[in-house]
Amino acid sequence: MNGKRRQSGRQSPASDSEDGSDNERPQLSDSTRTNHRLASKLVRYALACEYSRLPIRREGIKENVFGGEKVARFSPIFDLAQTQLRTVFGMEMVELPTKDRAHLTLDQKRKAAKSQTAKSQNRTGATTRSNAYILVSVLPPELRGPKIIAPSKVQSSEGEASYAGFYTTLIAIITLSGGELSEAMFRKFLSRLNADQTIPSMNPSNQNQPSEQTEIVLQRLIRQGYLIKGTAAGEEGDEAITWHVGPRGKVEVDNEAIAGVVRAVFGDATEGLENKLQTSLGVRPREEVAGGAPGHGRARHVQPKEESDDDSGRQQNGNEDEVDEDEEDQPAPRRRRVNTAGQHSPMTIRTREDGDPGSSRRNLFG
Amino acid sequence: MSDSEDAHVGNMEGHGNGLPLGYNDANRAFLQALLSRGSVTFSEGQSILSAILSTTNPDRDPIPSDKITRDIFSKYVHTAHEALLPFDYDIRSTLHQRTRERVWAIINVESDPATQLATVHTPEEILYVNRLLDQMFDTHNTPRMEIMAVDENQALKVARPSRSRGEDGAEEVQTQGGDKGLRASDVLTLLENLVAEGWLEKSRARFYSLSPRSLLELRNWLVETYNDDQAEEGAWQPIKFCDFCKEIVTVGQRCDERDCVTRLHNICQEAYWEGREEKKCPKCETVWSGKQYVGERAVTGTEAYARGHRKSSGRSRRQRDEAEEDEDGEE
Repeated sequence: MNGKRRQSGRQSPASDSEDGSDNERPQLSDSTRTNHRLASKLVRYALACEYSRLPIRREGIKENVFGGEKVARFSPIFDLAQTQLRTVFGMEMVELPTKDRAHLTLDQKRKAAKSQTAKSQNRTGATTRSNAYILVSVLPPELRGPKIIAPSKVQSSEGEASYAGFYTTLIAIITLSGGELSEAMFRKFLSRLNADQTIPSMNPSNQNQPSEQTEIVLQRLIRQGYLIKGTAAGEEGDEAITWHVGPRGKVEVDNEAIAGVVRAVFGDATEGLENKLQTSLGVRPREEVAGGAPGHGRARHVQPKEESDDDSGRQQNGNEDEVDEDEEDQPAPRRRRVNTAGQHSPMTIRTREDGDPGSSRRNLFG
Repeated sequence: MSDSEDAHVGNMEGHGNGLPLGYNDANRAFLQALLSRGSVTFSEGQSILSAILSTTNPDRDPIPSDKITRDIFSKYVHTAHEALLPFDYDIRSTLHQRTRERVWAIINVESDPATQLATVHTPEEILYVNRLLDQMFDTHNTPRMEIMAVDENQALKVARPSRSRGEDGAEEVQTQGGDKGLRASDVLTLLENLVAEGWLEKSRARFYSLSPRSLLELRNWLVETYNDDQAEEGAWQPIKFCDFCKEIVTVGQRCDERDCVTRLHNICQEAYWEGREEKKCPKCETVWSGKQYVGERAVTGTEAYARGHRKSSGRSRRQRDEAEEDEDGEE
């Protein structure tokens, strides 16, 4: 395939960057070839990170993609990978916003200050970069519907769907409360969602673990960057806990997604609701969002029926239902998370030739 | 990204800019759909493509699933395969050994530290999966009984790494390092999750076996790991292939001569015998009864199994009946 593509004679500057890793075209310099190979590896790394909701970090790229290799310049490889992601996969890496320092605990602030000086970053604030990225879909919204992009089978697609529904709702609540919730209010909302003790696990049909402790799930949400458990400026030196939307949450659950939650909760959109949404979130009224695509509308009606059958997480409570339905009902304009395959599962690792010898290999070939 | 190529969806004449010809948003959406599912059947592919093409065709006419022909589907699979190759991913297909349904899966051609990091499983769980595969393809896959599946008890037996195993047991203990293994409850949870993730299948007789997707992904690895490449031609090997379709057999039939290595899938045997005069093994010429099994039936088909389960295990009569029904359904 490469051979065919190589001979197809393109002139556009982008064309080179889309070629595969093992390009033997003679006029390509060694460094160009190296860049292509590393860019493809970076693409794999990016897909892998997204699968486990880890941010793609510069340090991670250096360690896992470049390995011991000396790389003259980082950005050409990164840009090449970005182009490959866009053209082949319809995805791109989006830089996460930096954490808002106001929400950090004193300890975290101290750490942040230290690492910032260490990196000698621009400390004026606005232009400080996080150097961490997540993968989002750049396909048109109508191509991101659940009929096309299934909730990825990270542990089970039902679990993934209810998990996404849970954090989407929490982020919507926090955002519409002005971006910050006190611990007390946050807990109150959790109990209204009937999620103050447990929520459905990542695989709700697993009899051995149908649900998970809310605390554990919240820790995961914090770790994955959906939520931030921070502190408000304490009046008497004591720090009150507050909840904020984390960097991944801001990118993945954008205002359009939040509007989707509100529409699902309030039922059919009225003009008044759409006006309020526009004021609060700056989203366009729904008609325009849907783009009037007949096919898309159809897909939306079919979907809930398909997924609701096996969604045992539902029995948890009524409100969770709303979340799930919303997730299935209209994620097309809102859901940005890219679902990557489970090819990075433990099975894959069995194919490794280096590192862990694996017990059986030892047994047979001693 | 060039937008010009997106103008005509489904039109395979594109601007050859380094991608397969005509590569457009419909192809990208199809690729994302595959990535999110891991594997698809033709009918799943039909509904995916119907959803994609209904939104991308110029007049936005809904295109029903049944209008998605094999040709259209194959074209999209092939294009995705071409687009993925430079990234060491591939799309391969195989028939489900029981249902005969063809399954297409995205597989990782090369596993490297970058992708290893991506697993959502802990290192202990991954080591456990290694032990589970040993249970399937080593412990419970002998010349006498080629089960290649394990029941829950057998899966629980390897919850923790064993202290002495194999001839070079002493060395073995060290390779396990700090692996403390899993608790029984963790094993049960993990097994269910691996089923939900599409790596394992659980039969009605409660045997766990590898899914078609796992077999596609692990095909070469299984051969390298369990088979002896120095072995003589015709010697028994843990991993064997169907004489008809040449794919791995983990569920199927074996030659009535125990030392003969001819194997057939249940789903292949009909077509296989159709082209032959006699129902005899082509290697050893023993009459092929079709009653010697590979897979869980190697156990569940025996009188001993029925007796044993009447006597000792916690398995209820009802469950055993279900198991037998299941097997009847397989044929």
